[in-house]
Amino acid sequence: MRISINAEIKEFDKEFLTIQELLEIINYGEGIAIALNETFILKTKYQETTIKDGDRLDILSPVQGG
Amino acid sequence: MEIDWIFSLQSKEDRVEKWKIEGKEFDSRLMIGSALYPSPEIMEKSIINSGSQIVTLALRRQSATNLKDGNQFWDIIKNLNVTVLPNTAGCHTAKEAITTALMAREIFEVDWVKLEVIGNQYNLQPDPFALIEATKILIDEGFRVLPYMTDDLVLAQRLADLGCTTLMPWGSPIGTGRGLMNPYNLRTIREQFPNLNLIVDAGIGKPSDAIEAMELGFDGVLLNSAVALAQEPILMAEAFKHAIYAGRLSFEAGAMQTRDMASPSTPTVGTPFWHQFS
Repeated sequence: MRISINAEIKEFDKEFLTIQELLEIINYGEGIAIALNETFILKTKYQETTIKDGDRLDILSPVQGG
Repeated sequence: MEIDWIFSLQSKEDRVEKWKIEGKEFDSRLMIGSALYPSPEIMEKSIINSGSQIVTLALRRQSATNLKDGNQFWDIIKNLNVTVLPNTAGCHTAKEAITTALMAREIFEVDWVKLEVIGNQYNLQPDPFALIEATKILIDEGFRVLPYMTDDLVLAQRLADLGCTTLMPWGSPIGTGRGLMNPYNLRTIREQFPNLNLIVDAGIGKPSDAIEAMELGFDGVLLNSAVALAQEPILMAEAFKHAIYAGRLSFEAGAMQTRDMASPSTPTVGTPFWHQFS
Protein backbone atom coordinates (compact mmCIF):
# COMPACT_ATOMS: atom_id res chain seq x y z
CA MET A 1 0.00 0.00 0.00
CA ARG A 2 0.99 3.61 -0.56
CA ILE A 3 0.15 6.12 2.10
CA SER A 4 1.02 9.72 2.79
CA ILE A 5 2.92 10.43 5.98
CA ASN A 6 3.33 14.13 6.64
CA ALA A 7 2.76 14.78 2.92
CA GLU A 8 5.44 12.29 1.83
CA ILE A 9 4.37 9.17 -0.06
CA LYS A 10 5.62 5.96 1.55
CA GLU A 11 5.21 2.39 0.33
CA PHE A 12 4.73 -0.67 2.51
CA ASP A 13 4.53 -4.29 1.37
CA LYS A 14 1.39 -4.91 3.38
CA GLU A 15 -2.21 -4.33 2.49
CA PHE A 16 -3.14 -3.04 5.94
CA LEU A 17 -1.28 -1.87 9.03
CA THR A 18 -2.51 -0.66 12.36
CA ILE A 19 -1.15 2.69 13.49
CA GLN A 20 0.74 0.86 16.21
CA GLU A 21 2.41 -1.43 13.65
CA LEU A 22 3.25 1.51 11.42
CA LEU A 23 4.85 3.44 14.29
CA GLU A 24 7.06 0.45 15.05
CA ILE A 25 8.28 0.46 11.45
CA ILE A 26 8.86 4.17 10.97
CA ASN A 27 10.27 4.63 14.45
CA TYR A 28 8.88 7.94 15.65
CA GLY A 29 9.74 8.82 19.22
CA GLU A 30 7.54 9.95 22.07
CA GLY A 31 5.57 13.17 22.19
CA ILE A 32 3.58 12.80 19.00
CA ALA A 33 -0.08 12.91 18.08
CA ILE A 34 -1.66 11.50 14.97
CA ALA A 35 -4.46 12.47 12.62
CA LEU A 36 -5.67 9.95 10.05
CA ASN A 37 -7.32 11.58 7.05
CA GLU A 38 -7.60 14.78 9.09
CA THR A 39 -9.31 13.07 12.01
CA PHE A 40 -7.52 12.91 15.34
CA ILE A 41 -6.83 9.40 16.62
CA LEU A 42 -6.46 8.85 20.34
CA LYS A 43 -3.29 7.07 21.41
CA THR A 44 -5.44 4.38 23.01
CA LYS A 45 -6.87 3.57 19.58
CA TYR A 46 -3.55 2.99 17.78
CA GLN A 47 -3.77 -0.78 18.09
CA GLU A 48 -7.23 -1.01 16.61
CA THR A 49 -7.05 1.69 13.94
CA THR A 50 -6.15 0.34 10.53
CA ILE A 51 -4.39 2.22 7.75
CA LYS A 52 -5.03 1.29 4.15
CA ASP A 53 -3.85 2.30 0.71
CA GLY A 54 -4.40 5.99 -0.04
CA ASP A 55 -4.71 7.08 3.58
CA ARG A 56 -3.12 10.30 4.80
CA LEU A 57 -1.38 10.45 8.14
CA ASP A 58 -0.29 13.60 9.94
CA ILE A 59 2.17 13.01 12.75
CA LEU A 60 2.66 16.17 14.81
CA SER A 61 5.06 17.04 17.58
CA PRO A 62 5.85 20.12 19.66
CA VAL A 63 7.57 23.07 17.99
CA GLN A 64 8.13 26.73 18.82
CA GLY A 65 5.01 28.85 18.74
CA GLY A 66 3.70 32.24 19.71
CA MET B 1 15.92 55.64 54.62
CA GLU B 2 16.64 55.43 50.92
CA ILE B 3 17.81 51.83 51.31
CA ASP B 4 14.55 50.90 53.04
CA TRP B 5 12.69 52.34 50.13
CA ILE B 6 14.70 50.27 47.66
CA PHE B 7 14.11 47.12 49.67
CA SER B 8 10.42 47.82 49.82
CA LEU B 9 10.38 48.12 46.02
CA GLN B 10 12.18 44.81 45.64
CA SER B 11 9.76 43.01 47.91
CA LYS B 12 6.69 44.32 46.16
CA GLU B 13 6.10 41.07 44.28
CA ASP B 14 3.63 39.96 46.92
CA ARG B 15 1.73 43.26 46.79
CA VAL B 16 -0.02 42.23 43.61
CA GLU B 17 -2.36 39.33 44.09
CA LYS B 18 -1.67 36.11 42.27
CA TRP B 19 -3.28 35.97 38.86
CA LYS B 20 -6.04 33.41 38.59
CA ILE B 21 -6.77 32.26 35.09
CA GLU B 22 -8.69 29.19 33.94
CA GLY B 23 -8.39 27.49 37.30
CA LYS B 24 -4.66 28.12 37.68
CA GLU B 25 -2.65 30.64 39.69
CA PHE B 26 0.41 32.54 38.54
CA ASP B 27 2.68 35.27 39.86
CA SER B 28 3.49 36.66 36.43
CA ARG B 29 0.92 38.13 34.09
CA LEU B 30 3.15 37.69 31.08
CA MET B 31 2.56 34.87 28.64
CA ILE B 32 5.51 34.39 26.34
CA GLY B 33 5.94 32.67 23.03
CA SER B 34 8.75 30.25 22.22
CA ALA B 35 9.29 31.08 18.53
CA LEU B 36 11.71 33.18 16.48
CA TYR B 37 14.60 33.32 18.96
CA PRO B 38 18.12 33.37 17.51
CA SER B 39 18.93 30.08 19.27
CA PRO B 40 17.40 27.55 21.70
CA GLU B 41 19.76 28.85 24.41
CA ILE B 42 18.57 32.43 23.95
CA MET B 43 14.97 31.22 24.00
CA GLU B 44 15.56 29.41 27.27
CA LYS B 45 17.30 32.35 28.95
CA SER B 46 14.72 34.81 27.64
CA ILE B 47 11.86 32.78 29.05
CA ILE B 48 13.61 32.53 32.41
CA ASN B 49 14.41 36.26 32.46
CA SER B 50 10.86 37.20 31.52
CA GLY B 51 9.56 35.63 34.72
CA SER B 52 6.72 34.19 32.66
CA GLN B 53 5.18 30.98 33.91
CA ILE B 54 3.09 30.36 30.80
CA VAL B 55 4.78 29.53 27.51
CA THR B 56 3.01 29.13 24.21
CA LEU B 57 4.04 26.54 21.67
CA ALA B 58 2.65 24.78 18.63
CA LEU B 59 2.42 21.46 16.82
CA ARG B 60 3.86 20.76 13.41
CA ARG B 61 4.73 17.87 11.16
CA GLN B 62 8.25 16.64 11.72
CA SER B 63 10.10 13.79 10.10
CA ALA B 64 11.11 10.69 12.00
CA THR B 65 14.73 11.58 11.19
CA ASN B 66 14.36 14.92 12.95
CA LEU B 67 12.96 13.23 16.02
CA LYS B 68 15.24 10.21 16.16
CA ASP B 69 17.36 11.79 18.90
CA GLY B 70 14.37 13.25 20.72
CA ASN B 71 12.86 16.70 20.52
CA GLN B 72 15.43 19.18 21.82
CA PHE B 73 12.99 22.09 21.86
CA TRP B 74 10.39 20.17 23.84
CA ASP B 75 13.03 18.93 26.27
CA ILE B 76 14.09 22.52 27.01
CA ILE B 77 10.53 23.63 27.63
CA LYS B 78 9.82 20.66 29.91
CA ASN B 79 12.89 21.45 31.97
CA LEU B 80 11.75 25.03 32.53
CA ASN B 81 8.89 23.85 34.71
CA VAL B 82 6.43 26.23 33.12
CA THR B 83 2.81 25.74 32.18
CA VAL B 84 2.45 25.29 28.46
CA LEU B 85 -0.30 26.85 26.43
CA PRO B 86 -0.60 25.15 23.03
CA ASN B 87 -1.85 27.20 20.12
CA THR B 88 -3.57 26.31 16.89
CA ALA B 89 -1.44 28.69 14.83
CA GLY B 90 -1.58 28.22 11.10
CA CYS B 91 -5.10 26.81 11.09
CA HIS B 92 -7.48 28.37 8.57
CA THR B 93 -10.65 26.42 9.28
CA ALA B 94 -12.54 25.45 12.40
CA LYS B 95 -11.97 21.77 11.58
CA GLU B 96 -8.20 22.20 11.37
CA ALA B 97 -8.15 24.11 14.63
CA ILE B 98 -10.30 21.54 16.41
CA THR B 99 -8.12 18.63 15.23
CA THR B 100 -4.96 20.49 16.25
CA ALA B 101 -6.42 21.29 19.68
CA LEU B 102 -7.32 17.64 20.25
CA MET B 103 -3.81 16.56 19.27
CA ALA B 104 -2.28 19.20 21.54
CA ARG B 105 -4.37 18.06 24.48
CA GLU B 106 -3.06 14.53 24.10
CA ILE B 107 0.60 15.54 23.84
CA PHE B 108 0.70 18.30 26.46
CA GLU B 109 -1.94 16.90 28.81
CA VAL B 110 -3.53 20.31 29.33
CA ASP B 111 -7.15 21.21 28.83
CA TRP B 112 -6.61 24.75 27.60
CA VAL B 113 -5.80 26.01 24.15
CA LYS B 114 -5.01 29.32 22.54
CA LEU B 115 -7.49 29.07 19.71
CA GLU B 116 -6.26 30.71 16.56
CA VAL B 117 -8.10 30.48 13.24
CA ILE B 118 -6.63 32.76 10.62
CA GLY B 119 -9.05 34.44 8.24
CA ASN B 120 -6.73 36.62 6.18
CA GLN B 121 -3.25 35.85 5.05
CA TYR B 122 -2.12 39.48 4.75
CA ASN B 123 -2.65 40.59 8.32
CA LEU B 124 -3.26 37.14 9.86
CA GLN B 125 -6.53 38.48 11.19
CA PRO B 126 -8.54 35.91 13.13
CA ASP B 127 -11.67 34.64 11.40
CA PRO B 128 -14.49 35.50 13.82
CA PHE B 129 -16.98 33.07 12.29
CA ALA B 130 -14.65 30.08 12.33
CA LEU B 131 -13.56 31.11 15.83
CA ILE B 132 -17.13 30.89 17.09
CA GLU B 133 -17.67 27.55 15.37
CA ALA B 134 -14.49 26.01 16.78
CA THR B 135 -15.00 27.47 20.26
CA LYS B 136 -18.44 25.93 20.57
CA ILE B 137 -17.20 22.46 19.64
CA LEU B 138 -14.07 22.62 21.77
CA ILE B 139 -15.99 23.76 24.86
CA ASP B 140 -18.35 20.82 24.29
CA GLU B 141 -15.22 18.63 24.16
CA GLY B 142 -14.21 19.87 27.60
CA PHE B 143 -11.63 22.47 26.58
CA ARG B 144 -10.94 25.80 28.20
CA VAL B 145 -10.75 27.97 25.13
CA LEU B 146 -8.64 31.13 25.03
CA PRO B 147 -9.61 32.67 21.71
CA TYR B 148 -7.22 34.92 19.81
CA MET B 149 -9.64 37.47 18.40
CA THR B 150 -10.02 40.89 16.89
CA ASP B 151 -10.93 43.72 19.27
CA ASP B 152 -14.61 43.41 18.41
CA LEU B 153 -17.14 43.95 21.18
CA VAL B 154 -19.88 41.81 19.64
CA LEU B 155 -17.48 38.95 19.00
CA ALA B 156 -16.38 39.21 22.62
CA GLN B 157 -20.00 38.91 23.69
CA ARG B 158 -20.60 35.86 21.50
CA LEU B 159 -17.49 34.12 22.82
CA ALA B 160 -18.42 34.92 26.41
CA ASP B 161 -21.94 33.58 25.74
CA LEU B 162 -20.37 30.30 24.61
CA GLY B 163 -18.58 30.03 27.94
CA CYS B 164 -15.15 31.56 27.37
CA THR B 165 -13.83 33.10 30.57
CA THR B 166 -10.66 34.42 28.94
CA LEU B 167 -10.54 36.52 25.78
CA MET B 168 -7.41 37.49 23.88
CA PRO B 169 -8.02 40.45 21.56
CA TRP B 170 -5.15 41.60 19.39
CA GLY B 171 -3.26 44.80 20.01
CA SER B 172 -2.29 44.83 16.34
CA PRO B 173 -1.54 42.10 13.78
CA ILE B 174 0.85 39.30 14.75
CA GLY B 175 4.50 40.21 14.47
CA THR B 176 3.97 43.86 13.52
CA GLY B 177 5.08 45.38 16.81
CA ARG B 178 2.70 48.27 16.26
CA GLY B 179 1.39 48.29 19.80
CA LEU B 180 -2.25 48.94 20.63
CA MET B 181 -3.90 50.09 17.40
CA ASN B 182 -7.24 50.80 18.95
CA PRO B 183 -7.15 51.51 22.69
CA TYR B 184 -10.79 52.63 22.56
CA ASN B 185 -11.95 49.16 21.47
CA LEU B 186 -9.79 47.45 24.08
CA ARG B 187 -10.98 49.80 26.81
CA THR B 188 -14.60 49.18 25.81
CA ILE B 189 -14.16 45.41 25.96
CA ARG B 190 -12.55 45.81 29.38
CA GLU B 191 -15.43 47.94 30.64
CA GLN B 192 -18.10 45.64 29.24
CA PHE B 193 -16.55 42.43 30.59
CA PRO B 194 -15.17 43.28 34.02
CA ASN B 195 -15.22 39.67 35.18
CA LEU B 196 -13.44 38.01 32.28
CA ASN B 197 -9.72 37.51 32.03
CA LEU B 198 -8.60 39.77 29.20
CA ILE B 199 -5.21 39.42 27.59
CA VAL B 200 -3.74 41.54 24.83
CA ASP B 201 -2.32 39.01 22.42
CA ALA B 202 -0.20 40.02 19.43
CA GLY B 203 1.16 43.30 18.18
CA ILE B 204 3.08 44.32 21.27
CA GLY B 205 6.38 45.86 20.19
CA LYS B 206 7.81 47.63 23.21
CA PRO B 207 7.51 47.39 26.98
CA SER B 208 5.60 50.69 26.90
CA ASP B 209 2.91 48.95 24.79
CA ALA B 210 2.59 46.30 27.47
CA ILE B 211 2.32 48.94 30.17
CA GLU B 212 -0.45 50.64 28.20
CA ALA B 213 -2.36 47.35 27.96
CA MET B 214 -1.98 46.71 31.66
CA GLU B 215 -2.99 50.26 32.54
CA LEU B 216 -6.18 49.75 30.53
CA GLY B 217 -6.95 47.07 33.07
CA PHE B 218 -6.05 44.06 30.99
CA ASP B 219 -5.20 41.05 33.08
CA GLY B 220 -2.20 39.96 31.10
CA VAL B 221 -0.18 40.23 27.92
CA LEU B 222 0.88 37.54 25.48
CA LEU B 223 3.85 38.35 23.29
CA ASN B 224 6.63 36.70 21.38
CA SER B 225 8.24 38.72 18.58
CA ALA B 226 8.83 41.75 20.81
CA VAL B 227 11.30 39.71 22.83
CA ALA B 228 12.56 37.22 20.27
CA LEU B 229 13.31 39.85 17.62
CA ALA B 230 14.81 42.43 19.98
CA GLN B 231 18.49 43.21 19.58
CA GLU B 232 19.07 41.58 22.96
CA PRO B 233 16.18 39.18 23.61
CA ILE B 234 17.30 38.16 27.09
CA LEU B 235 17.49 41.78 28.21
CA MET B 236 14.20 42.67 26.55
CA ALA B 237 12.52 39.75 28.30
CA GLU B 238 13.51 41.29 31.60
CA ALA B 239 12.27 44.70 30.45
CA PHE B 240 8.86 43.18 29.74
CA LYS B 241 8.81 41.46 33.10
CA HIS B 242 9.15 44.80 34.85
CA ALA B 243 6.85 46.62 32.43
CA ILE B 244 3.97 44.26 32.98
CA TYR B 245 4.46 44.36 36.70
CA ALA B 246 4.64 48.17 36.66
CA GLY B 247 1.57 48.38 34.46
CA ARG B 248 -0.41 46.19 36.81
CA LEU B 249 0.70 48.18 39.86
CA SER B 250 -0.25 51.37 38.05
CA PHE B 251 -3.70 50.01 37.26
CA GLU B 252 -4.26 48.92 40.83
CA ALA B 253 -2.97 52.25 42.14
CA GLY B 254 -5.27 54.22 39.84
CA ALA B 255 -3.81 57.04 37.80
CA MET B 256 -4.71 60.67 38.52
CA GLN B 257 -7.25 62.44 36.35
CA THR B 258 -5.78 64.43 33.52
CA ARG B 259 -6.48 68.18 33.57
CA ASP B 260 -6.30 70.95 31.02
CA MET B 261 -5.17 73.63 33.44
CA ALA B 262 -1.81 73.50 35.11
CA SER B 263 -1.79 73.12 38.85
CA PRO B 264 1.38 73.69 40.89
CA SER B 265 2.65 70.68 42.75
CA THR B 266 4.85 72.75 45.04
CA PRO B 267 2.90 74.48 47.85
CA THR B 268 2.11 78.12 47.13
CA VAL B 269 1.79 79.03 50.80
CA GLY B 270 5.04 80.60 51.98
CA THR B 271 6.17 81.57 48.51
CA PRO B 272 9.36 83.68 48.88
CA PHE B 273 9.12 87.44 49.06
CA TRP B 274 10.10 88.20 45.47
CA HIS B 275 6.75 86.88 44.21
CA GLN B 276 4.92 89.41 46.30
CA PHE B 277 6.01 92.20 43.96
CA SER B 278 5.38 90.44 40.65
